[in-house]
Amino acid sequence: MPKRIVDWLDLRLGIRDILEQNLTKYLLPRNINIWYTLGAVLLTLFALQFATGILLLIYYQPSPQEAFSSVQRIMNEIPYGWLLRNLHAVGSNLIVAVLLLHMLSALFMGSYKRPRELTWVSGFLLLNLSLGLCLTGYLLPWSQLSFWATTIATDAAGAIPLLGADLVGFLRGGTAVGEDTLGRFFALHVMGFPLLFGLLVAFHLFCVRRTGVSKPPFGPDYTPPKEHDRFHHEHHPGGIPFFPHYMAKEAGVISFFLALLVAITFFAPGLFIPPTANIPADPFVTPPGIKPEWYFLWAYQVLKIFPSELMGLAVQVVAMTLLALLPFIDRSPERRPARRPLFVALFICGIAIFVGLSIWGYFS
Amino acid sequence: MIHILGRTWGLLLFLLFLPTDVSAQQNQDETVCIQCHGGIPGAIGAPVRQWQGSIHQRHGVLCFHCHGGDPTDFGLAHSPERGFLGAPGDEDVPKFCGRCHVGVTEDYFESAHGQALGAGGPNCVTCHGSHAVQRATSELINPQDCTRCHEYGRAEEIKNAIAGTEAFISSLEGDVAALHRLGIDTSRLEGSIFSVRNEFRRLFHSVDVERVRNETDNFQQQLGVIAGQVEALQAELARRKVWGGAVVVLLILAGVLSLLLYKSYMEGKEG
Repeated sequence: MPKRIVDWLDLRLGIRDILEQNLTKYLLPRNINIWYTLGAVLLTLFALQFATGILLLIYYQPSPQEAFSSVQRIMNEIPYGWLLRNLHAVGSNLIVAVLLLHMLSALFMGSYKRPRELTWVSGFLLLNLSLGLCLTGYLLPWSQLSFWATTIATDAAGAIPLLGADLVGFLRGGTAVGEDTLGRFFALHVMGFPLLFGLLVAFHLFCVRRTGVSKPPFGPDYTPPKEHDRFHHEHHPGGIPFFPHYMAKEAGVISFFLALLVAITFFAPGLFIPPTANIPADPFVTPPGIKPEWYFLWAYQVLKIFPSELMGLAVQVVAMTLLALLPFIDRSPERRPARRPLFVALFICGIAIFVGLSIWGYFS
Repeated sequence: MIHILGRTWGLLLFLLFLPTDVSAQQNQDETVCIQCHGGIPGAIGAPVRQWQGSIHQRHGVLCFHCHGGDPTDFGLAHSPERGFLGAPGDEDVPKFCGRCHVGVTEDYFESAHGQALGAGGPNCVTCHGSHAVQRATSELINPQDCTRCHEYGRAEEIKNAIAGTEAFISSLEGDVAALHRLGIDTSRLEGSIFSVRNEFRRLFHSVDVERVRNETDNFQQQLGVIAGQVEALQAELARRKVWGGAVVVLLILAGVLSLLLYKSYMEGKEG
């Protein structure tokens, strides 16, 4: 039966040729390492977020009067609702962690360099969009955590000179976090951001496929690729086929990450869902000790270190802009870490600063 | 490009968090009571400092909830027309607290403590304190405090009589809080425990040892029913973990098999 379907499609669309070109005859570097599988892990986790998100959407009600009770209903009455909600919440955190690992591996192996600047920039934008999705999703359960985190977060916009007050009003849809804020965040979370996200993912994958997978810059045989004046797809003659060889490796790593996701979901959901997430929003009671999610702790601490919020914001903008434009700043074709001591030193310092600020932010 | 990226990240940054104590402070500053009294040293400002960290503060009970007045207007904060009551006299304290704590006040008035009100007997704040009031536990019955007025013997008998039930209640409260942290809707269980606890505390505010002993079984039975519901939920969570553990094992196995498959493909290709 599957053969008949493929035959039918092949006759009309030449499907066998497409499959061959993109699977069995699509060759990857022989020394491709495990870090390259993180893209596939991310695609799987995003697909899971999409699926669980749609299922949650069936029962979720985006109004201050109904939001918390609808989430409680999902958690306590809908069959397997607790599983969907916990997978969605834990999955979002795991995605950010894998996104960071994916970005770090691209940095360490110099995969962002010419001709892959657009792949890097689209990936960087995807990271930011993912953080935007996390932030907008945070408000939706309309819990104490949601309400106060969003109140404090939107307050930060007030630090911008001249525009601050207007921006706060724009983000909230009013003077305080309320029904209009929930409406905006809901629309962005379930429609606006996912739409942009889908387009960007498609562009990112197109860049990867069109330019070709970069060869890992390790081993005695490695030499930096020649720079071309015209478009050039990086081929890997004698490499391993994407299917079945490399896909087996990807399937292995995806399985391990899914095992981690399921383990946290079943055994330690509280790691990413603090107690204040289970208390309905009360605009008159500020719960003590609200902290941002772990991936925002570094930024939270930067805002505290500097004497004014504006300075803290400016430092973050400069740091992130430098990161976004790195391929246009670091133009050397050399990708071997051993031959890029300055970059590796900065790379290690960057990770140490991120981790250090996050720990400081957590305990401050 | 730099401009666009800067603005994109900047917009995200607007949404980042500021220190929560700023917000908490703003919230408290909204009441003129705290704005004014909080900055005054000595006895007039002391209640604000004592109230901070109290059980009332944690539950959002503010100055005006007890003392009345308009918390939004400096001029009307002490206005009797806005319900300002000020501080009650010693004999008025039970009725003052009893506007919220209705049940225990009734039993208090019927007790030896209540009967002695105005004749050297204790009122609510004698044992519980006023602004720095904390969650009530049986530790409030102790030799140091009770012997301020009378011998400890009878108080100790009451403490021993309630100890088991109090421990049962505390244990259930801990179990229910743990369930709530996992997203379980525990509102009915919390309501049931709250109800039993209040009734039980009414009982021992009567300071009648025999009555406490006679009625303890009834409370233990009610708590037993709640404990059964808690255990059912805990069993359900345990079942979920078994299934979750099985899925984790299967996924790890799938991962190992996939990598073995990859290895065999690679060996085949090299061979």
